[in-house]
Amino acid sequence: MHNAWLVIQREYVERIRSKAFIIMTLLMPVFMASTILVPTLLSDMKSGVTRHIVLVAGNTLIAEAVKQELMAPPKPSEQPLRPQETAADGKPAQPRYAIDIDTAATDAEREKLRGDISAGRIDGFLWLSDSDLAARKVVYSAKDVTDFGESIELRNAVHSAIVKQQLARKGMSGAEVETVLKPIDFDAVRIEKGKEGASGIAVFLVSFTMVMLLYVNVLVYGFAVMRSIIEEKSSRIMEVLLSSVTAKQLLAGKIIGVGAVGLTQIIIWLAIAGAFSLPGVMASRSMMSNVHIPMSGIVAFGVFFILGYFLYSTMYAALGSMVNSDAEAQQVQWPAMLPIIFSIMLATPVLQHPNSQLAFWTSMVPFFAPILMFVRIMAETPPLWQIALCIALMLLTTWGLLGLSSRIYRVGILMYGKRPTLPELRKWLHYAG
Amino acid sequence: MTATVELRGIHKTYDHFVAVDHLSLNIREGSVYGLLGPNGAGKTSTIRMMIGITIPDEGEVRLFGETFHRRQLDRVGYLPEERGLYKRMKVLDHLVFLGRLHGLSAAESRKRALDWCARLHISDWVQKKVEELSKGMQQKIQLVAALLHDPDLLILDEPFSGLDPSNAVMVKDVMVELKKAGKTILFSTHRMDQVERLCDSICLIDHGRSVLEGDLKKIKSSYGKNTVQMQYEGDPPFDHDEHIESVNNYGNYVELRLKPGADAQQLLRTACERARISRFELMEPSLEEIFIDTVKQHA
Repeated sequence: MHNAWLVIQREYVERIRSKAFIIMTLLMPVFMASTILVPTLLSDMKSGVTRHIVLVAGNTLIAEAVKQELMAPPKPSEQPLRPQETAADGKPAQPRYAIDIDTAATDAEREKLRGDISAGRIDGFLWLSDSDLAARKVVYSAKDVTDFGESIELRNAVHSAIVKQQLARKGMSGAEVETVLKPIDFDAVRIEKGKEGASGIAVFLVSFTMVMLLYVNVLVYGFAVMRSIIEEKSSRIMEVLLSSVTAKQLLAGKIIGVGAVGLTQIIIWLAIAGAFSLPGVMASRSMMSNVHIPMSGIVAFGVFFILGYFLYSTMYAALGSMVNSDAEAQQVQWPAMLPIIFSIMLATPVLQHPNSQLAFWTSMVPFFAPILMFVRIMAETPPLWQIALCIALMLLTTWGLLGLSSRIYRVGILMYGKRPTLPELRKWLHYAG
Repeated sequence: MTATVELRGIHKTYDHFVAVDHLSLNIREGSVYGLLGPNGAGKTSTIRMMIGITIPDEGEVRLFGETFHRRQLDRVGYLPEERGLYKRMKVLDHLVFLGRLHGLSAAESRKRALDWCARLHISDWVQKKVEELSKGMQQKIQLVAALLHDPDLLILDEPFSGLDPSNAVMVKDVMVELKKAGKTILFSTHRMDQVERLCDSICLIDHGRSVLEGDLKKIKSSYGKNTVQMQYEGDPPFDHDEHIESVNNYGNYVELRLKPGADAQQLLRTACERARISRFELMEPSLEEIFIDTVKQHA
């Protein structure tokens, strides 16, 4: 064990010190931040621009109502796709729309407005003719209509104006109308052992994070394990190493060492993300209060993430022991990728019916378990024996694969040049060592 | 005296290819042993089984008088034929890592690594990365790695290949010194001149089988091509001895060809009793000749 520990140490220290690690660790948050910040900044820049829109309506009342809706400060809950309009100092930003009302809902007018759009005099027009409204069909014409946020906003404004108008006609006061239209705060909460468990959104969010983290981690660090084995084979250092370490110790040390590097990286990223997003999280705590994650979910996340990493990187180790170059490695890595892609595909049906036969059997397959068993635990905790069996199966498979890869590794050093075929591989496994 | 290495009929097959064929040999403690053989004869396969990298299909490996066990590897230093180091590691870090794998403390590995590097004139390179070093330099680093834990048995697979003459001398000096310190050295090579100068015993392997094994001097003297050149004063110091195959006498100079198995020392003693000997030289067939002959015989 002492030697395995030395291998872990070397693998960890050398990697943490490497330029590639430092650059990757620092660049990733920059990249992530920019994927989040750039669209926000872009839409902020756009929202600073006032859109000039013409409301064409035979009925001035409805046009005024729609205008009123659009000019009112937006409520964030109704417009999830829009960034907050109020600036940090609390003053309302400049209005986003400049609105003209046109009462001539004729075909000639439509042609003229189309010309205005092309000439750039207006940004768009909303056709609210009585006949269209009666048919409950509204067309918005503009130079660009790819801003879905804007389309949703306009649709909501029109809808809300019509509803309010009709309710007012039935004799409701403005305050009554507001009360009636107030959206409901809806949440699905799972009951477990008589207590409230994770909410639906939390289950989805956490499961999705697990899937993505595992996928990315396996991809990056599993491949790193594979490459490091290939490097040892091509530099022939393994012969020296094998004279003091067993192949099993070497591979296990490598997998744990590289895994520790991955964990370090994730912790650094989480720390950076935490430091930068803390103010944001504090501000939106009211919104996040729905996302309730039970402690058992966090524990399960840790357990299945680590087991999943070990299982998959052992598989990569076996593959790496068979090949001699990175180019060959690319070709053989699909057996490690397939199960993870399968389990991503199976995650949704399992999440929907966590107690079905499908969910049970697929989550017992060690290669699917990291994602599927975890999803099941999040959705509806399965009986304890199932979780225990699943973990035991994963550990056994990992151990078996480790034995298998160390055999391939030992025989592989004697072979040069070509990748073994399957029958050859079977023979290798039969050699005494 | 106990054998440091004893192989008892070890056998290894890969598929249908017999790499090592029921090979037995004994390496005496404190001796320098040469493992010879043409390319692909099974030298490296044999060495790998000696240190547990592969396990024989049949037979037994015994080190230091006991059945092979991985614990014994702390007493073995190995320089493989295929040299390899982690390219991006610093030399000193690398040596410390390998020293610790052999059970040394970090501080001790460091101290010994620096000592050895000073001896082999590579001190200036210990903070460089391995990939910045020349091939010969990397080989010296690897030799240091094999010596760090002061092993009782040193296995050197082709230690001289790739070294320039001055570095080869340096390595040779280290080997001689280790032998004096009582270490057992096994080395494999193609260079017969080095074997002749350094080895006490040899084993010649061909097609995985031992075709010639034993004490180098005995092998050479038993080889049947022994020739003695002798200069003397007075009467001829020999008659028609049963050990002598042929005689060519020039009056005060004679050339003798000994029968297979004859002991030239015995001849010298008899000659000394009868005459005054001013020159006595035993001309042996060179090891190279023996090597080629033996391999030819078994081909």
